[in-house]
Amino acid sequence: MARMKFLCDAERCIECNACVTACKNENEVPWGINRRRVVTINDGSPGERSLSVACMHCSDAPCAAVCPVDCFYTTDDGVVLHDKDICIGCGYCFYACPFGAPQFPTTGAFGSRGKMDKCTFCAGGPEADNSSEERRKYGSNRLAEGKLPLCAEMCATRALLAGDGDTVSNIFRERVTWRGSSGLTWGWGVAYSKPGLRRGRGVEGKAAGKD
Amino acid sequence: MNNNKRSLTAHQDDFFSVVKALLVIVLLLSIAPQALAAGDAEPAAKVVNPGAELWREVRQREAPVAGTTQVAGMDSGVLINIRGEQWRTFRMQQLIPAAGALLGGVLGIIVLFHLIKRGLRLELGRSGNYLLRFKEIDRVLHWFVATIFIFLALTGLILLTGRVVLIPMVGHDVFSVIASASKEGHNLFGPLFLLGVIGLFIRFVSKNFPGKGDIGWLLKAGGMFGGKHPSAGFFNAGEKIWFWLVIFIGLTLSATGLILEFPFFGQDRLIIELSLVLHGVGAVLLVAGLFGHIYMGTAGMEASLESMTSGYVDANWARQHHDQWAEACEAEGAVIAGEELAKKQRLRGTKNRVPDRPAAEEGQ
Repeated sequence: MARMKFLCDAERCIECNACVTACKNENEVPWGINRRRVVTINDGSPGERSLSVACMHCSDAPCAAVCPVDCFYTTDDGVVLHDKDICIGCGYCFYACPFGAPQFPTTGAFGSRGKMDKCTFCAGGPEADNSSEERRKYGSNRLAEGKLPLCAEMCATRALLAGDGDTVSNIFRERVTWRGSSGLTWGWGVAYSKPGLRRGRGVEGKAAGKD
Repeated sequence: MNNNKRSLTAHQDDFFSVVKALLVIVLLLSIAPQALAAGDAEPAAKVVNPGAELWREVRQREAPVAGTTQVAGMDSGVLINIRGEQWRTFRMQQLIPAAGALLGGVLGIIVLFHLIKRGLRLELGRSGNYLLRFKEIDRVLHWFVATIFIFLALTGLILLTGRVVLIPMVGHDVFSVIASASKEGHNLFGPLFLLGVIGLFIRFVSKNFPGKGDIGWLLKAGGMFGGKHPSAGFFNAGEKIWFWLVIFIGLTLSATGLILEFPFFGQDRLIIELSLVLHGVGAVLLVAGLFGHIYMGTAGMEASLESMTSGYVDANWARQHHDQWAEACEAEGAVIAGEELAKKQRLRGTKNRVPDRPAAEEGQ
């Protein structure tokens, strides 16, 4: 069985937010909810990095451990899903989650939380695959159609990878081994047009000899 | 021709390399003293990916590394929330087992105590004369707070321990309905509890300052040790401690509860997690105190419940448990005879709240 994982390559992510938009569109999530977000650290300074974050589908998920009504379950593919019929919208999963994945629509009185919504790895919920009920509550079930999550499929720079953990890490391992620059490629000239500039700064990287 | 050119260039290269070498030697000699003073020559600069440093910081989780994001929402710029796990571990591995142990332990102690001591009887029986202990407004306030607090305690305990206790009994679907109703009810009635606590404070604070005999009462544990009942005023030291527990823990529960109930005033996850910890610990302590309070008000002490139902207590009860107060009342002439009280209650249309058994019968 596959063990589904997301991996965001921070050397490639350009903070375009296409994954956020793609997810929102594909799953038709309620207003105010973003199952995925892009976080940029040291924004605007040399060395800034961006990461696309959503539910990481933990092996031992804190949300599932803390849920007072025990509404989480892990599929055979290692995807952490939850049952909205059981969820009471208490918000505890959001406080326990390291990645801020669980989201809550503010529908109730006094701004109280509605039922939790989070990334499903485009795998729907406990209802029958691709039933209208499943679509209404959880959005798309692309996994049942043999497709991967749309956020990763849409990623223009292939920064966001989704799929079986082994495959994803093989791709990433190859990238790390043959990466063209060491990450000091700040500025247009350095990054694209003048390899000599890079060499002068000693930032050729491990692929220097790979012409 | 070609060969010539090549050799010429080679000669030129040789010449330039000699010049270069000389220049390097001159340069080295000129900086040699500093280089020697500084020790070994600096190693060649090693280029480190700035990302490596960044991710090390993020992964070591010494602090939540916050960035910027286009997505609105609580802490949406935080990449890894480190305290969530501490809170979860506390709740699941410490708070829930401790709550079970404490509440179960207190209940067990009370049952054991009752089986051994059979509660405190009226030593002199009923006198048939009465003293007004709690006015109607105080009784209404007491039962208002009591009803709300018991409801909040039940719903809160369902939410805290239901996964361990109730899900194995009723299943996920049924428990979800119970838990959802508990959550909504808890949120709806929670703010009323604050009003009740404020009311209790206003009505009772003047009688709950430490006073004469409190230390002695505590040393004798309210008469549990040392035979003779220690002297006490309107409230004994135990009741005073319960009052201040209700006020302080009650206000803590209200404050943290409001923080939790309205999560849209900019409070972040840390504040909410701390509130959940305080709310849980405080609530469990107060429920444990409530067990003791209910026991002392009912089975644990004969004729004490009347003070909160009719408001009147038997004069003998007052003399036994609150001698200073009883003496003060008697000095004021506030003792009401049984027939007089029954007549008063008939006039008011109140049902017989005071047992109108003749004093003589009861005494013997």
